Amino acid sequence: MVVSGPPGQVTVRADLEQVFRSAYPRVVAVAARVLGSRDEAEDVAQEVFLTFGRSSIPAGEAVGWLSVAAAHTALNHLRSGRRRAWREEAADGGDGVSPDVADAVVTRDERRRVRAALARLPRRQAVALVLRHSGLSYAEVAAALDLSPGSVGTTVRRAESALREELNRHASSD
Amino acid sequence: MRHPTDGTLRRLLDEPAGVAEADREHVAGCPACLSGLAAAQEDAAVASAALSVQSASVQSAKVESVSVQSVSVESLSVESDVDVDAGWRRLSRALAEEGRAAPGSSASPARRWRAVLRSPVVAVVGVVVLLAGAGAAAAVDWLQIFRTEQIAPVTAPRADLVKLPDLSAFGKLEVTGQVDVRQVADAAAAEKASGLSVPRVAELPRGVTGEPTYHVGARASAVFTFSAEKAARTAAAAGQTAPPPPPGLDGSQFQLVAGPGLAAVWSANRPFPALIVARAIAPTAYSSGVPFDTARDYLLSLRVLPEDVASQLRGFSGEAMTLPLFTATEQSTSTTADVGGVPATVLTPRDGTMAAVVWVSDGVVTAVAGSLSADEALSVARGLRWNR
Repeated sequence: MVVSGPPGQVTVRADLEQVFRSAYPRVVAVAARVLGSRDEAEDVAQEVFLTFGRSSIPAGEAVGWLSVAAAHTALNHLRSGRRRAWREEAADGGDGVSPDVADAVVTRDERRRVRAALARLPRRQAVALVLRHSGLSYAEVAAALDLSPGSVGTTVRRAESALREELNRHASSD
Repeated sequence: MRHPTDGTLRRLLDEPAGVAEADREHVAGCPACLSGLAAAQEDAAVASAALSVQSASVQSAKVESVSVQSVSVESLSVESDVDVDAGWRRLSRALAEEGRAAPGSSASPARRWRAVLRSPVVAVVGVVVLLAGAGAAAAVDWLQIFRTEQIAPVTAPRADLVKLPDLSAFGKLEVTGQVDVRQVADAAAAEKASGLSVPRVAELPRGVTGEPTYHVGARASAVFTFSAEKAARTAAAAGQTAPPPPPGLDGSQFQLVAGPGLAAVWSANRPFPALIVARAIAPTAYSSGVPFDTARDYLLSLRVLPEDVASQLRGFSGEAMTLPLFTATEQSTSTTADVGGVPATVLTPRDGTMAAVVWVSDGVVTAVAGSLSADEALSVARGLRWNR
C-alpha cells in the first residue's frame, strides 16, 4: 500500500517538455556511466524526469539537479544490482557491441567490476566523479554538489584514486 | 612557495585556465608537483576508461586507449545516440498513467503491483511488514507473523523516501503470484471472482454520475529470502558497517500475500476516475521461522534508512499489526478519522485535486478515493453498505 505521487490531476511543470528535450540525452549518459546499460540508464532517466516534472526546481538549475539526481538514482540501482545479469546478457547479445564471445565476457566482467567499485566509493566522491566524466565543468559540478570549485578537483582526485584502488583490489582478488 | 593541492593538480588536467597562473608556473618547474600531476593523470585515465566501459553498451564503441582529453567528446557521442522522442513518449505515458492511478486502491492495472514491488518505498514497507512480526517464532513451515489490522502513515520528505533502498538490497525477492487485474461484467461477477462483498455507495458525491465498472484482482504473493551478505553490502555502500546478523536470519524466508481484491470505478466522462471504492484482503506475512523483533532491530541497526523514517518504523511493533503507509510530506498530508468505529487514514495531496480514505477491518483493507474533497471521501466511506 503505497502512495508515492499525487494521483488525480497530476500537476506537471509547464516547461517539462522543453527541459526534457534538451537534457534527456545528458541525463541518460550520466546514468549510463554508472550502470553500463542503456536500458537501465533510460529507466533511471525516466524516474528522474518524473520527479522533476512534479518539482519546482528553477529552470536555471535544472540540468545540474537532473545530473545529480541521475547519478544518485543510478548509484542506488547499483546497490540493489537488480536485473543486472539479465541486462548484461541483453546488452552484450543484442546489438553487436562486441565482435566475439571472448570480448563479450571481458567487457561484461569489467563492467561488473566497475559497478562494484563505484558502489564502494563514498557517495559524494562517486557523484562528483561521474558528473565530471560526463562532461560537466568544474563550475557546474561545484554548483550541483554545493562545493567550492576548488574542492571539486580534490573530490574528483580522491575519487579517481579510490576507484583505481578498488579496481586493482578487485582484480587481484578475482 | 608552497605546493598546490592535489585538487589543483587535478584541475590542471581538465581546466588549466581555471588554475592560477602562479600555480601553473610553479608546477612546470617543480619535480614533486610534476610527479603528482603524472599520478593524477594516470588515475584520471583509468577512471575515464573504466567509466567508458560502463557506457560502451550505450554507444557501441570500443574503449581501448581512452585518454582524459577524449572524455567530453565521448559523452557527446553517448548523448547523440539517445532517442529523445521515444523517451518523451514514454514519459508522457507514465505521467498519464500516474494521473489515472489511485492510491490505496486495488483498481490499478497489474503493472502497478510490479512497479510497487520494485519501488524503493515499498521495500521498507515490505521489509518491515515481513520482519516486524509478532513475538518469537517457534514454528515450522510458514508461520503467520503479520496480519494487517490497521494502517498508519509514515511521513518523510520525498528526498528521504527516494533514498530508501529496495527489498532486493537485503536479499532476493521473487514474485510468486502476480496481481492480474481485469474488468468483470457486474457486481455479482466481482463478488464471485474475489470472494468479497461489493460495497454499495449510499449517496454519490455531487458530480459523480452513472454506473461504475467493476474490476477484480487475484491474490498476489512474493517470497523474500534474507541475505546477510547483501545487507552488509548495502550497509557498506551507505558507508556503514553491518553488525553480524542474529543467528538464523541469513537465508530465512518470508512470504508476503495480499488480495484478492475488487474495485468499483466511476469514471464516466472524466479523464480520471471520479470515484473508486476498492476492497482487498489486507497484506499478510508468513515466515519460515526467525526471531522477528531481533530481525527488525537488525535491519534498523544497519543505519541505511534516513533517521526520521527509522524512528517512525521503530514504533511499529508486531503486536500492533499496523501496516506502514509511506507518504511524502511535500505531496500529501495525512490525518486520521473514524469510519464506523475503525480508525482510518485520510490522505490529501497538497494540490487538493483528490482525496483518499483507507482503513482496515476484519483483515480487509478498504479504500475510497477520487477527485473529491476529504469531506466527500469520508462521507462516502461512512455511508458504504455491504451486500450480505
